[in-house]
Amino acid sequence: MTFFLRRLGWSVFVVWGVVSIAFVVSTVLPGDPARMVAGAQARPADVARIRRQLGLGDPAVVQYARFWKRLVHLGPRVVDTEADPAHATCAVVLPLGGSAVHIDFGKSFQKRQPVVDLVATRLPRTLALAAAGMVLQLLLGLGSGVFAATRRGSWLDAFLVGSSLLGISTPTFLTALLLQYVFARGLGWLPIDGFGATLGEHARCLVLPALTLGVYGAAYYTRLVRDEMVVLLQEDWVRTARAKGLSPAQVVLRHGLRNALVPIVTAVGLDFGALMGGAVVTETVFRWPGLGELSVKALLDRDGPVILACVIVTSVMIVGTHVLVDAAYARLDPRVGHSRP
Amino acid sequence: MRSILTRLDAGALALSALGLLGAPLGCDETLPFPLPSEHGDGSAPRRGGTLHLATYSDLRSGIDPASGTDQSLGPVHLVFAGLVDYDEHARVVTDLADHWDVADGGRTYRFVVRAGVTMHDGAELTAGDVKRSAERALHPSTPDPNASYFANIAGYEAYSAGKAEHLAGVVVEGRYVVAFHLAKPDSTFPYLLAMHTLRPTCASAGDRYSDAWQACGAGPFELPPGGLRRGTSLRLVRHQGYFRPGEPYLDAVEWTFNMKALAQRVRFERGELDLVRELTDADLTRFTRDPRWKPLGSVEADTTIYGESMNTRMAPFDNVEVRRAVAAAIDREHLRLVQPSRMSVLTQALPRTLWDDPSFAGQRYDYPAALEHMKKAGYPFDPATGTGGWADPIPYLLYDQGLDVYTAQLVQQDLAKIGLRLRLQLVSYSAFLTLQERAGASAMSQGNWMLDYPDPSSVFDPLFTTDAIAPEGSFNTSFYSNPRFDELAGRAHLEADATVRRALYREANAILCDEAPWAFTFGHHTFDVRQPYVRGFAPHPVWPLEVSGVWLDRAGEALEHALGGGLR
Repeated sequence: MTFFLRRLGWSVFVVWGVVSIAFVVSTVLPGDPARMVAGAQARPADVARIRRQLGLGDPAVVQYARFWKRLVHLGPRVVDTEADPAHATCAVVLPLGGSAVHIDFGKSFQKRQPVVDLVATRLPRTLALAAAGMVLQLLLGLGSGVFAATRRGSWLDAFLVGSSLLGISTPTFLTALLLQYVFARGLGWLPIDGFGATLGEHARCLVLPALTLGVYGAAYYTRLVRDEMVVLLQEDWVRTARAKGLSPAQVVLRHGLRNALVPIVTAVGLDFGALMGGAVVTETVFRWPGLGELSVKALLDRDGPVILACVIVTSVMIVGTHVLVDAAYARLDPRVGHSRP
Repeated sequence: MRSILTRLDAGALALSALGLLGAPLGCDETLPFPLPSEHGDGSAPRRGGTLHLATYSDLRSGIDPASGTDQSLGPVHLVFAGLVDYDEHARVVTDLADHWDVADGGRTYRFVVRAGVTMHDGAELTAGDVKRSAERALHPSTPDPNASYFANIAGYEAYSAGKAEHLAGVVVEGRYVVAFHLAKPDSTFPYLLAMHTLRPTCASAGDRYSDAWQACGAGPFELPPGGLRRGTSLRLVRHQGYFRPGEPYLDAVEWTFNMKALAQRVRFERGELDLVRELTDADLTRFTRDPRWKPLGSVEADTTIYGESMNTRMAPFDNVEVRRAVAAAIDREHLRLVQPSRMSVLTQALPRTLWDDPSFAGQRYDYPAALEHMKKAGYPFDPATGTGGWADPIPYLLYDQGLDVYTAQLVQQDLAKIGLRLRLQLVSYSAFLTLQERAGASAMSQGNWMLDYPDPSSVFDPLFTTDAIAPEGSFNTSFYSNPRFDELAGRAHLEADATVRRALYREANAILCDEAPWAFTFGHHTFDVRQPYVRGFAPHPVWPLEVSGVWLDRAGEALEHALGGGLR
């Protein structure tokens, strides 16, 4: 318990540090967010008015303090945006008696919407893409890796290892374009991009971006699993398991794959955290409206509140998955965990 | 285990084979047949159907004339009609106004609103709506990027500072009569009024801006509930009470946002998009060279100017002869080849849409003359030995926006031939804007400007007048100042006679070409390609995708397949 509390404390510190760095960087970079809102040809008087409206006329320290003050605060349990504009951009996250804990990322400079609404809309989409991509990565990667390890030295092993090298070496955008050309333009089986309007359309639109992430990750996991398994399958205890008369499947899955899972879980945890931050290239190429696409546009537009919200969500996701990975370690290998510093 | 591995084996082989088969399928670059129309040319307009469009950009801030940006130009124009508008020749003509007159020596513009114009909420448009909409748009709490264009309306200063409850210069003189009183005469006021900013909104808009407002105006199309899916799509439907009888012909117009050029092309070929204007260079070449598709393409008007902006307060460009040398040294025809389908040579300060006068000399590529100007400047350069010229490298600011990087390198090569050595500095777009417009921060950079409204003042006033110079945020990026030029630009505003105004602008244009605060280089236009069944479409000189007069005449899918067109 102490271990997890300590980890949690560190996690909060890490998130604070990352967000503060993001704030400083976005403040000191040359370029005027108000100008990006008003447009390249907006006249100075109009830019100045919009700058005042966005609260950008205040010193950076004041803006920083205001941001943290607003980020988590107490407010009414139910927000009436018309009657209570001070909480119009808040999300109520935890009722506490007559009041509630609010989270407030502010309002997007460009989209003029509460950022919590933007994040709440985008996050499930990114989660769906990350989950689908991860499932494909693991299905293809674990399968190919186990298969290659058990056929070590065969031409199929060489083919799978070679294919995985190709998969890792191919940039994501190239894989994405290839899949678009083959499955959307050539065969016409799937939409070339987009998100769709119904659940069925969402699922169809999800296939190609998930496959793009799947191909890249599967190549990585193929190599990882194969290399781990090749070593493990030569261990004495594996030989003993075989000698005991266990079936090849039992030997491979129970004694080989299970022991190979520790480094794989680490990799999965890190990858999933990164994917939750948004698979930027994949989301952009496939017009999948998730956090990655939102982050890129916010960065280009100097949309400060959205940038900071994306940084917070991403860092929380990554830190969170790290904590979960630590927990998974403890389950997979009891020697790890409570004694760790 | 054996059986599992065998299945894995088969699956891997199948996947590999699919990949090998799929690649050739996707590599066919032949354009399909255009999708046929049902009736021949000259058939009468038909009502019905939905026009499908797409764009790589997004409607960032919704649909509101008071907060409109470049991305929202097309949709805002379809939802909100104005008292006046630009016609197909970019002239100002009446739209919701029946007529207008000018009084008080050019200080008062009085408009009579058409009687019986129905807005999307069913109410009749009145002069009161015009005043309320103007006050809403120009209120200091409104994020209007164009409000200061209307600073000449009497009482604007007090109103925009929050010191007055109402905008004194906009006066309702009757149910259908509204007058705009200006602080000083201005012949460009009708051009400004034809922009989106002051277009009438329904009573639901109130007198203050709100992000939550559901767009409602008097244009040919209206926004239905749920019609805007932010970041994804927009659907506008026909305004049944539109004041022009029978129009619009379309039931609806749909935009899809954030769609890449490649995806647009594929969807266009499949008949899922009816008209595209954002093709890649390679695709643009294919469509313009294919005899089946070439007649279906159209070039939009040049409304943008590009040039090399030289800071007239920084060496060596504080020497007019050096600037003249630059203007003569740039081979614009060579530069145009960077993107020949979209770029046109520009030799003057105004796009050809506004100033197409073959007799006007402008700036020309003339290498010997460029060397002569360098000599007059005191920095003679010998091309044979490569000696002479300006000794120090000149920082050249640019941002990565596609063709800019290429044109900058060509300019770099051209100027090296006269002894000016550019050192390219690539920065982000926001940093570019800041540095380019900061006094003393940038010696040279690429300038570009898109007309806000189709009048020379839209170029001259913000880019080259002394008033446009500021220590920060200076649109006059060359920090150029010429009293005679200022006088001409100012007089043109006051002048009501079109012929006299043209003469004033001609002289102003000539001054800029001679003194060369910019070396004007090229104009940039958009190319539209439509399916044959999209009828009545012609690019508008100001509004992108003005489709209020478009109708659809699509043949059935059976005929499409029989003719080999379409894939859906």
